Amino acid sequence: MTKKQRRTVQVVVKEVTLIIITIVMLLPILLSITMSFETPPEVFTYPPRIFPNTFYLGNYVNAFNSIKLGRLLINSLIMSVIIVVGKTVFGILAGYAFANFKFKGSAFLFALLFVTIFMPADMIMIVPLYKLMVNFHWLNTYWALTVPFTASATSVFLMRQYFLTIPKELEDAARIDGASSMRYLTRILIPLSKTMIGSVIVINFVYAWNFYLWPLVVINSNSMQTAQIGLQMLMITGATRNWGIITAGTIIVLAPVLILFFAVQNLFVQGIVTTGLKE
Amino acid sequence: MILSRKWIPYLLLAPTFLIISVFIYYPAYQSFFMSLYKVSPFGTSSRFVGFENFLQLFQSGGFIQSVYTTLIFVIVTVGIGLVISLLLAVLLNDKIPGIGIFRTLLFSPYAVSPAVAGVLWAFLLSPVSGYVSYLFLIVLKIQPQWLTTYPLALIAVMIATIWQNIGFNVIFFLAGLQSIPQSYYEAATIDGANAVNKFFRITIPLLSPIIFFLIIMNISSSVFYSFAAINVMTEGGPSNTTTTMMYEVYRERFFYFNNGAASSESVILILIMAFFTYLYFKFGQKAVHYQ
Amino acid sequence: MLRKLLMVTVFVILASVIFAAPITLYFWQGVGAAFTKPLQDLCNQFTALNPNVKVDVLYTGDYHETLTKTISAVQGGNPPDIVQIYDVGTQVMMDSGVIIPIQDMIDKDPSFDINTIIPAARNYYSYKGKLYSMPFNSSNPVIYYNKNLFEKAGLNPNDPPTTFDQFIADAQKLTVKDSSGNTIQYGFTFGTGQPIEWFFEQFLAIQDALYLNNNNGRTGRADKAVFDSPAGLRVLNFFNTMVQNGSAIVAGAGWDNARSLFLSQRAAMLIDSTANITMLLQGAGNKFNVGVMFLPHPSGVPYGGVIIGGASLWLINTHNTQREQAAWDLLKFLESTDAQAQWSAATGYFPINRNSIIKLLYQGFYAQHPEFLVAVLQLLMSTPDAATSGALSGAMPDIRTAVNNAFSNVFSKLMTPEQALQQAQNQANKDLANYNSLY
Repeated sequence: MTKKQRRTVQVVVKEVTLIIITIVMLLPILLSITMSFETPPEVFTYPPRIFPNTFYLGNYVNAFNSIKLGRLLINSLIMSVIIVVGKTVFGILAGYAFANFKFKGSAFLFALLFVTIFMPADMIMIVPLYKLMVNFHWLNTYWALTVPFTASATSVFLMRQYFLTIPKELEDAARIDGASSMRYLTRILIPLSKTMIGSVIVINFVYAWNFYLWPLVVINSNSMQTAQIGLQMLMITGATRNWGIITAGTIIVLAPVLILFFAVQNLFVQGIVTTGLKE
Repeated sequence: MILSRKWIPYLLLAPTFLIISVFIYYPAYQSFFMSLYKVSPFGTSSRFVGFENFLQLFQSGGFIQSVYTTLIFVIVTVGIGLVISLLLAVLLNDKIPGIGIFRTLLFSPYAVSPAVAGVLWAFLLSPVSGYVSYLFLIVLKIQPQWLTTYPLALIAVMIATIWQNIGFNVIFFLAGLQSIPQSYYEAATIDGANAVNKFFRITIPLLSPIIFFLIIMNISSSVFYSFAAINVMTEGGPSNTTTTMMYEVYRERFFYFNNGAASSESVILILIMAFFTYLYFKFGQKAVHYQ
Repeated sequence: MLRKLLMVTVFVILASVIFAAPITLYFWQGVGAAFTKPLQDLCNQFTALNPNVKVDVLYTGDYHETLTKTISAVQGGNPPDIVQIYDVGTQVMMDSGVIIPIQDMIDKDPSFDINTIIPAARNYYSYKGKLYSMPFNSSNPVIYYNKNLFEKAGLNPNDPPTTFDQFIADAQKLTVKDSSGNTIQYGFTFGTGQPIEWFFEQFLAIQDALYLNNNNGRTGRADKAVFDSPAGLRVLNFFNTMVQNGSAIVAGAGWDNARSLFLSQRAAMLIDSTANITMLLQGAGNKFNVGVMFLPHPSGVPYGGVIIGGASLWLINTHNTQREQAAWDLLKFLESTDAQAQWSAATGYFPINRNSIIKLLYQGFYAQHPEFLVAVLQLLMSTPDAATSGALSGAMPDIRTAVNNAFSNVFSKLMTPEQALQQAQNQANKDLANYNSLY
């Protein structure tokens, strides 16, 4: 066997392995796609089917109409974009401080920040946080949905690690040329970190997009609710459950995230490539 | 210039610390005080009880069991999740046709919200009529009761959790793998190292910073965000064997309206996590190799 | 002077009728997307009759989440006018101090006849003879069965089992195994967690047995659980016998797995809520005929009946008489004959207004849908007493978890039914003490 032949065999084996793994991994999602094209009696058949035998689009229409999904998706988008912008911008600023400056209390402040990875306020401190929103008169506003979540340890941590990998000589050179600290950040560091910023955006977008409990508690009007609430509304237990509509809703709500990921995929993978996440 | 540079880092940190102080540390502080009270569901009557909530927790077998379950849950989901992710990343770290599509598809489970993931998995693992159950019946001629027996129910929620984390992990591992210079492997080949040797001598050490980052992120998501899937798939059962600490907090808060108990459990959860963070800073970083 | 005063009064009254400021009532509901439209339709009809009152119906998560949100909102001073709270949240709401018992409104309003509400619904939401909330979407559990599989097993689909023993025997006949000994069709299936916790209460009531002391907490605050009784044991044994002999399959937590087993014809009988009739009939489609039967009861034990489940509507004290009056008018409208008939036909929940039941009957609705009639009859034929009024305590959610654990401990043979029930009762007593210590 020549080297080229060996490579071909290798590629074929890998392709087949990957296809199998992908199918197994995506089984729950493939199943949703199948069910989203089925009418209620078709969903429950035995033995279970992988492919739908009809192509019924009514579920998608119903999902959109029964919960005004369009409006909910727009709200989710607004909320997610604000959170992503906040986390990214503040993450860059704080990451820059921790990576490129020596200052008093740096280690302590970093630890103080780091610990918050394990303190999801929207999950375990919902009552005090809610009272804060009342005091700020933020109920039923985008403020409540976004501001408390515009900073996070994860983004700071990732940006800090990335900035640490960029050679210090660049900063020194910039300083000799008379560039200020902010100028160095905006003109040199940020362009160099485009790829990492892309990955921070994707991670935070997924986080914000899947927000559920908090929007449910602080939002008091239909026009301000988010897509995840809509999805839960389709799904609610103890009453009628229509799998076709639920899965159609799931696919619709999942789509924007996958589109975003697909759009920045190259950027994203390269982004982390160069970081090496040095400690 | 020099004087101003001294203040710049504090200015840069100001927005982040303003937000975490107001929206994380302040509520956490309030949460701590709430843990010292027994409060009626609507907060109309409350009674200072000191550490009674904590005492009751430690006296109830349920809480100790949930700590134990959480420990197993985290170790398994983080451990196995990372190993599978790394192997997958190695497989994906090759320029073969369609690799971009594979990467995107394998990322997609991460984008599904935990509650939805739980619903989908519950449907797949549903006894007899579910896809997985059917597959086991025709291939292995057995009928495992995934969601209703111990330890299968725990395994089922672990599978759902690992499934959610893989996409996230793979992307970071992949990136790490691509950053390892090919020359290291070539040099090792000349020295006669085999593939396994290379994996353990070169790949793992050079990936250690990423592994540490992912361990932290995975622990956080396993501890705090897996309750949504548990709630849908098993409701913590059978016999509380899938009740993790966070699910217990969730139940106390949203099902039973015992705010005092929920707060004291949150406090313990945060303290445990803070302790591990301390360990991480003290010892973990020493184990990380530098490129 | 008198004339002037009279004129002013007339003017004020006229003005308040004609120029009354429009109000928007906030109505929080937890029943989900499928029922949002029928509910909004009803509220729109109300607005058509009362142009000054708009109703903003908001989905606020499932029942747990709705109660959570209500608690936060009340504490934050931003409550809704009407909120839908599930059955076991009743005592928590009564104790909340933020609601207006609707009996207070009824007593001031001679136009409302409380006797139009069916007794089962009235009893559940009353304490010491005072009605606290307006019953709304109501259900009880029934057994759904696959008539085709009954025929295949040689059973008469028009003569379903009525006693525990008959039911167990039929479940066995309906169980089918393949050549390698794996069961491919079960006689019976049910969900654990919320479903079984509820079924346990229902089967106690079927035997006219109490769940909590002080007449299920109806004549005074309950402080002891009493379900560790021969009646309780019979329920546990009923389920456990079928699980252990392999004729019943534990479908998993929640309602869905059991439903999918039934709809894919892997289980011949299913215990489920009457609220789900429509969905099950839809899901069965042309594949098989769905029958609905009454809950079986153990022979030789006096018959009690079933407890109403579902949710009711609570009036929040907003300290604004105009709003409260408008909210009360809405509640009255939602209880009215036409509204209840319309709601019931659209959703599968049965009407809580006796006139609506009569109306649907005359319209031929029950002749066309005998399944719905079973649900109503089962409730109406129940003995109205403390046992069938259901247990009332703020600790009910906690206690239900203890009961659920008892079932899993028995199914997995970790405990005998006697041990499990005793442990659950001990836990329940602790939960009761814990809750009562706050009031």
